[in-house]
Amino acid sequence: MSEPETYEPKIVAFLCKWCSSAGSDLAGVSRIQYPANATPITVPCSGSISPLYILSAFNKGADGVLLSGCHIGDCHYIEGNYLARRKIYLIKELLEFVGVEPDRFRMSWVSAAEGAKYAQVVKDFVADLKPLGPQDKLKADRT
Amino acid sequence: MINVRDIRDAARDLLAKGEVRAVIGYRRGSRGMAAEPVVITAPEQADELVWDPTCFHNLALYLVEDRKFLAHSRKAPGAPIAIIAKGCDARAIVVLMQEHYFKREEVYIIGVSCEGVGVLDERKLAGHVPGTPTDAAFEGDDFVFTTPEGEKRLPAREVMADRCLECRAPFPKEHNVVFGEDKTGRELAAPFAALARFEEQGATERWDFWRRQFERCIRCFACRSVCPMCYCDECVVDSITFPVAPETTADEKANRIRWIERSAVRSENITYHMTRAMHLAGRCIDCGECERVCPVNIPLRLLNNKMEREARERFGYEPGASIGAASLVASFNDSDPGSFIR
Amino acid sequence: MEKILHKERIDDWISALTGWEVLSPALEDGIWAYRPVSGAIRLDHPNTTQPPKGLAFPQREVFFSFEQIKGEAPRLTQILPDTVQRAVFGVRPCDGRGAVRMDRVFGDHVEDTYYQARRKNVAYVGLACNQPPSANCFCLSVGGSPVSTDGLDVLLTDLGDRYFVAAVTETGKALMTAANSLFDEPADADRQQLKSVHTEALAQPQRAVHNPDAVPAKLKASFKSPLWEELARACIGCGICTFLCPTCHCFDINDEVTGSAPLKGNRVRTWDNCQFPDFTMHTSGHNPRPTVGARLRQRVCHKFQYFPENFGMPQCTGCGRCISECPVGIDIVSVVNKVVEHAG
Repeated sequence: MSEPETYEPKIVAFLCKWCSSAGSDLAGVSRIQYPANATPITVPCSGSISPLYILSAFNKGADGVLLSGCHIGDCHYIEGNYLARRKIYLIKELLEFVGVEPDRFRMSWVSAAEGAKYAQVVKDFVADLKPLGPQDKLKADRT
Repeated sequence: MINVRDIRDAARDLLAKGEVRAVIGYRRGSRGMAAEPVVITAPEQADELVWDPTCFHNLALYLVEDRKFLAHSRKAPGAPIAIIAKGCDARAIVVLMQEHYFKREEVYIIGVSCEGVGVLDERKLAGHVPGTPTDAAFEGDDFVFTTPEGEKRLPAREVMADRCLECRAPFPKEHNVVFGEDKTGRELAAPFAALARFEEQGATERWDFWRRQFERCIRCFACRSVCPMCYCDECVVDSITFPVAPETTADEKANRIRWIERSAVRSENITYHMTRAMHLAGRCIDCGECERVCPVNIPLRLLNNKMEREARERFGYEPGASIGAASLVASFNDSDPGSFIR
Repeated sequence: MEKILHKERIDDWISALTGWEVLSPALEDGIWAYRPVSGAIRLDHPNTTQPPKGLAFPQREVFFSFEQIKGEAPRLTQILPDTVQRAVFGVRPCDGRGAVRMDRVFGDHVEDTYYQARRKNVAYVGLACNQPPSANCFCLSVGGSPVSTDGLDVLLTDLGDRYFVAAVTETGKALMTAANSLFDEPADADRQQLKSVHTEALAQPQRAVHNPDAVPAKLKASFKSPLWEELARACIGCGICTFLCPTCHCFDINDEVTGSAPLKGNRVRTWDNCQFPDFTMHTSGHNPRPTVGARLRQRVCHKFQYFPENFGMPQCTGCGRCISECPVGIDIVSVVNKVVEHAG
């Protein structure tokens, strides 16, 4: 178990291309300082995220998984984020059901204009993940 | 009370008249008392059909097998195929039709009601019956077993499958013809009772429980193979099928994603089972077959029931209720919970 | 070496086996499995759901690890199994005979380094079957017996309040001499009782493969029989029969990549299964065994024809697990009998 000062949680962030990914870019160009723990993966739409991506991220050792998409009503594909809202609710419930810490998985709506929000979301996530330590329940033993 | 002769007559009649090309049903098995699935194509074979408490299999699976066989051999179906369907099985057939896997007119549903007594859970029989029974029969609210030491009668509720105890729809609503009484509304155990008991535990106990279960999994895939709803030609989680055609490029083959390893270790097993539970959300009708067939007794119904209860309580969704209904994850409501989203 | 062990002393025998990890049947979540002994040993099991083959032939086995080194050839590091000695108590004669068959596959023509490294560290203390543990046992039909010692190091026979303990191999003798003082010399009455218990065990009714000697030739003649598809009609294509079989041994070898910069991973062997659709699927999409009937034929013929042709003995040991656990009741005894009958 690593000490809290040296442990840096690894976050995999699935960001929808049209809103959240652009939002994370805005945080960058605006030089907003926030923890560098999140590895972004751009997807076309939050609704396109398969539960397998989330489980695979945990399998490969992610300490936390973030999904972020457009606000309700603003989805580039009109309905994608409505479907995401339903599906992600289910996977979140399933993860908690088997005993994975609820704080390891979260979802946000971040628009292309919300660079500051994105930074805050990541900041909060890192802070909430640190006391949990490395994720070892779903992680594959790669020895 | 159902007279099996009526089921046989119906099957015989349909085949003799050419109204159906085959009947999927149950017949006496060769190992002990359990029935086994059979597909009969000649009217005379109808005499083989049985109906008893060991008819626990979900025969909808064989509709899927039939469909795949036809697709593979590029044959047109011709006449419809008939199937003996309990209440649970009929709902599975509805889900398959909801998903346009086949059209309603391609399947002739011979509905058979369990009349509220469900089917047997063989594992519950140990200790109740001396020796190995050779026969089981329905009789009112009881199951009657023939054993080497004579007949043994047991109240069905003592040895019926858990999923039958919790069943809310023990009557095949979707049918072309139906035998037996409708006992919908009979209360045996609260729905999702096993799930509720399980959830009384805290996160640490729940994890310890699932960790132990998934370490025991041998990835025989019986759960997936027996499920009518797992009909994908290639399973995304662990493909043991790889459908390729002459047109499949080398690139496509080389870049096929391997989501989990073949190793039957905890991490890979969990990914497989949780993905499967998600893929069954809103589709699983709790026939319980996955749990019955698991050789290492993993309580898979708990995972699927969790999804089913969320579907019902959060989204007002009932799988297999109506052929025209949209699927759970391809529809949404303004009232869907969203407070978890930051 | 033949001795008598009073039942209340068996836990002391286990404790005396320092240097051995002792495994015995344990009931967990409704499943019997071999587990490290904890507390008093139990030998009242029917048979375990999984045979002990996993001790010498585990579901997952790492052969070597590899790592790409910049400017050099990749570094390969062989990973040999641990050298822990394991003694398994309660092994049924059918599973002992299963080990004999596995030993031949992994040792006759080529010595499988990994299998042999594990196998030489596993000892089987068998338990004779006074009653058939399963309604689907048929060991007598395949050259076995409820009191067979093939593949075992020791055979225990339950005589009521004591066991008749017979060493079969030098390892078995060593296991017994490790706790010499706990054993008694057998009296004539003990030997008489052993004889009658064994005679009665052999007389217990079992499932039967009819005319076993004729089976290989009849199967060979039935390769093209349409009966295979018919008998396999209900098969769901899972892997239960094969994974639970004491003698099934097909395997896959894959690389499990654990790092990409530098590239590293493990070369891993895992169990394969002739009942899975991709068993002999080619990358072209062509599949020599495209249907459940072809794959059922594969398994049955491998057990009752190909293996006898190659090794002079049936591969099946009659444990009955595939029959008991098959989700839809496909019954190898019934299948063989029907095919043979049909072959005329």
